[in-house]
Amino acid sequence: MAQSQVTDKAKILAAFPLRGALPPEISGWKSGREDQVFTRDDIFDFMDGGGEIYLAYDFQFVFVREYVQPDAPSIVAEIYQMTSSQDAFGVFTHDTDGDEVELGQGAIYAAGLLRFWKDRIFGRIMADRETPEARAAIMGLGEKIVAAIPQDGEKPELIKALPAEGLRPKSLSYFHTLISLNAHFYLANVNILRLSPETEVVLARYEKEGSTARLLLIEYPSVERTVDAEGRFMEMFLLERFEAGRRVPPKKLEDGNFAGLLRSGRYLIVVIEAGKKSVLEWIIKTTFHNLEGLKQ
Amino acid sequence: MKKRRTARVFTRRDFIKGAAMGTLGMALYGKGRPMFAGEAAGAVPFAADDPQSVVVLLRNEKAVGPGDKVDAAVVQEMIDTALTEFSGEADTAKAWAKYVHADDTVGVKFSRCDWMKVHTDQAVIDAVVKRVGEAGVAKERIFAQDGGLPFAKCTALINVPPVKVHTLTGIAVSMKNYINFSPAPSKYHAPSTNLGEIFLLPEVKGKTRLIIVDLLRPYFGPGPQVNPLHRWNYHGVMVGTDPVAVESVCLNICQAKRNLFKGEPWPITPPPDFIAAADKTYKLGTSDPARIKLIRLGWDKDILV
Repeated sequence: MAQSQVTDKAKILAAFPLRGALPPEISGWKSGREDQVFTRDDIFDFMDGGGEIYLAYDFQFVFVREYVQPDAPSIVAEIYQMTSSQDAFGVFTHDTDGDEVELGQGAIYAAGLLRFWKDRIFGRIMADRETPEARAAIMGLGEKIVAAIPQDGEKPELIKALPAEGLRPKSLSYFHTLISLNAHFYLANVNILRLSPETEVVLARYEKEGSTARLLLIEYPSVERTVDAEGRFMEMFLLERFEAGRRVPPKKLEDGNFAGLLRSGRYLIVVIEAGKKSVLEWIIKTTFHNLEGLKQ
Repeated sequence: MKKRRTARVFTRRDFIKGAAMGTLGMALYGKGRPMFAGEAAGAVPFAADDPQSVVVLLRNEKAVGPGDKVDAAVVQEMIDTALTEFSGEADTAKAWAKYVHADDTVGVKFSRCDWMKVHTDQAVIDAVVKRVGEAGVAKERIFAQDGGLPFAKCTALINVPPVKVHTLTGIAVSMKNYINFSPAPSKYHAPSTNLGEIFLLPEVKGKTRLIIVDLLRPYFGPGPQVNPLHRWNYHGVMVGTDPVAVESVCLNICQAKRNLFKGEPWPITPPPDFIAAADKTYKLGTSDPARIKLIRLGWDKDILV
């Protein structure tokens, strides 16, 4: 490790306020080894290729502390510092399997793993093995971290445009790039939708009229880039000739499901895997209407 | 048992993928299950009469106990039995002697992923190392490692991976287990299509004598970090020599588990293109379930394949 990196990490550790919020001991678990920090430069040392998922957001660094106790599972607390609250929320939506618990601005607990977010912090605390004592310690650590974060953060504005009716619980995810899209839902191995760190994407699942559908709502930095993505999706996915301004009706695909899209300024509304055409049309229409409200 | 076949359509996503990869036939990705060449003819997957590859799956209910504790003695017995069946030899010693010789330098390549914590279980590693030693290989010529394994000086490799669905490659079993044999492992992440070429590196090619898969506690979730809800006790080990066939069977097991967990198709994503590419481009084995014979031994509850 370069000397400058060591110095930078020492500075991060010294200045990170949540480090002080974590107790040296909780319910018999004691801080096991030296606290660690991993930045965008060395996140792969902490989690190998999995770091790509964090780098796809505005991740700054992760603070890691391990708690140990004889004859008990070890507990590792990871505190991810993001640049924006929107991206802290986004990382939180990467995996939503588990039971919702009251903590911060959203938290999920599952078999010894607590995940939560508040403001620009995403937290992850996990025991090697779940025991009642470990669960209590994990929740205690989570509460201490959350209490030390002075304020709530904003969720992505884009999610306000999602139709509320029929939205499947915990199906919403927020991200920017193709690598995140592919981790949630495989559309293609080419970047048809021209996703980039500058795009904001909400992916959600709907259940309505006895059928399901997926909504991809994307905000691009410019109208030109939105039109470009619209054309690519139309030609590569719907196999329709693209002309700027031409509306293409929902199309029934080989698997019997419908797909369709609508552009609204810098926004692209894409609905795929819709079991019913009427559901697709309703999602597009409602999202379009909600976007008009957002723009005002 | 009556042969059963599920209808499967070629989706728009398959089309785009096929176009991007240069051949539609390479599309392995389906809505909840892979497609395969024999499907249209009504073939039953993994039941080839004249197989190109054989894979042995053995499960034992006692392999993993309360608190997810692995029973090392049971695991040793499972590996011995599976290998004996696979080799067609009469006993364990003869079975191992078929693949490992006293003058070999043996690399036992396992996976120890500190961050995801889905390791090759130590009981599996120990069982393999013990038998390699008993085959006559001197202790100082057995290298059981993950990172830093001196594969160039090994004359034989035993590929001993765990099984996990992976955020960047789709699935990680025997193919991805060799990723750190490459000087540039990150180039095989997203997309991972060319993962098979690692098996053709001059210092790796032709050295893999056996694949012994730790299927005791696989992982089927999205990652990149483990969610305990997505790990299950499958109580299995698998033996083969064809990394593509092994990967294909494990892919099916994990896909079936995901669908069960969600109660609806939950396709593994990104789709593990590298499996079809390892077959068609790198010729490392077969990904076609119609050309693979899976021998199932032991406990069959919730076997999923």
